[in-house]
Amino acid sequence: MYLDVYVNALFSILVFPGTIFLVALAFFTQYLVRKLSARYQRRMGPSYVGPIGLLQPFYDFLKLLRAKEEVVNRFSMPRLAEFALIIGVSCIVSSVIFLPISLLNVATVFDVLIFFYLSSVMPLFAIVIASLSMPSPYTNIGVSRLLSLVTIAEPAYFASILVPVYLATRGDGLFMSISSTYVNFSRLYSNPITLAILALSIIGFTVSIQVKAMYPPFNIPEAEQEIIAGYETEFSGPLLALARLLHDLDLVIALVIGVYVLLGGPAPFNHLSPLGGLVLVLKYLILLLLVVTLKNIMGRYRIDQALVQVFKYGLIPPILAAILALVAP
Amino acid sequence: MKTTLVLDPSSALTIVVAVLGLSILTVSLLYYALKSRRVRVTNVYLSGEPESVVSSVTPSISSMYWGFMKRFAKSLYRVLVEGVHTGSLHDWYRFLSSWLALLVLLAVIVFIASIIAGW
Repeated sequence: MYLDVYVNALFSILVFPGTIFLVALAFFTQYLVRKLSARYQRRMGPSYVGPIGLLQPFYDFLKLLRAKEEVVNRFSMPRLAEFALIIGVSCIVSSVIFLPISLLNVATVFDVLIFFYLSSVMPLFAIVIASLSMPSPYTNIGVSRLLSLVTIAEPAYFASILVPVYLATRGDGLFMSISSTYVNFSRLYSNPITLAILALSIIGFTVSIQVKAMYPPFNIPEAEQEIIAGYETEFSGPLLALARLLHDLDLVIALVIGVYVLLGGPAPFNHLSPLGGLVLVLKYLILLLLVVTLKNIMGRYRIDQALVQVFKYGLIPPILAAILALVAP
Repeated sequence: MKTTLVLDPSSALTIVVAVLGLSILTVSLLYYALKSRRVRVTNVYLSGEPESVVSSVTPSISSMYWGFMKRFAKSLYRVLVEGVHTGSLHDWYRFLSSWLALLVLLAVIVFIASIIAGW
């Protein structure tokens, strides 16, 4: 029994759905983002490295990690930046044990809070600490803009995740648990009131994930041509590889939790059936397509415009959803 | 075979810390085993300008705070600053008799009632 737990724990963290799987999914997601964006802009996108260009993000990562040099100035603290980014990546990898897809699935009351802390708060701190460890005026402007945006976007993301979890687990022994949400999800889409609340949460989630990924129209923290590369201006070589990996993992884990708590994961099937797996992949791709479409059809907002738009379309819908969830029968 | 552990929050946190430790070890080992060792030292990149054009390379906490307050929170306080804190009792009375004040009053009454009723 204990041996099974240890083996499953090791496999979950190292292989599936932990380090290897998450990193591979991050590269695949990056490939899709680049390929779909290219098609929107009538370009080819990645095409030559690997079959249909699938390995391009992996080779880009490897090039930065292995071949490129680390460029530092006298104000840089690259070891601190590395440490912060490694902590960020590790927090995202560890958060998978709360997902129902994990071979070692840990469930407890309010586990969604631990998941949120590991998968969203810590990576954000990691990015901020790493950026400020490699200071320059452009980095500082980028971090300042990032912090301004996430002050509104993180509560929006949090509320949009929390509302469906609350609705699905109220009255349940495992209150506010992700696993329990997955089991009880049919309650949400079989009731028109909770379905409407879910729709409001999805709107807030879509806007906040655009901010988390720093994709247009909310790419002001890394606004190219204006503040060089914003918060990541001073990253180079292996450090840039790690920062980009953290960014991609952040997007991947946000999409995965969105698929589970907002779209029901493999519902109406279960994980072990082939159809369940297919539905899970399809829902992930649909969310990703939505993110990439918004990225490509919108221009960049100024920081003051961005803050107002995130407040209007990102924060208000999930707050309304939270109020309705509290009074809904 | 999948294992599901339903635990109390403190045991779950213990497992999370252990898993986090293992993840940090794995990611660090992979990163330091694979990373390039070449380092080049340069000046701070300032689009060709000398370092003297910036007085400080790190942002002050107050500038980040006021950046947020001036850019965003100002619109939140505008209602209070322009509608209530004008020095005129009429404006204060007008605000208190508006729907917003009624809403606040209602929220306070519901909150106190919920405490008394023990909801």
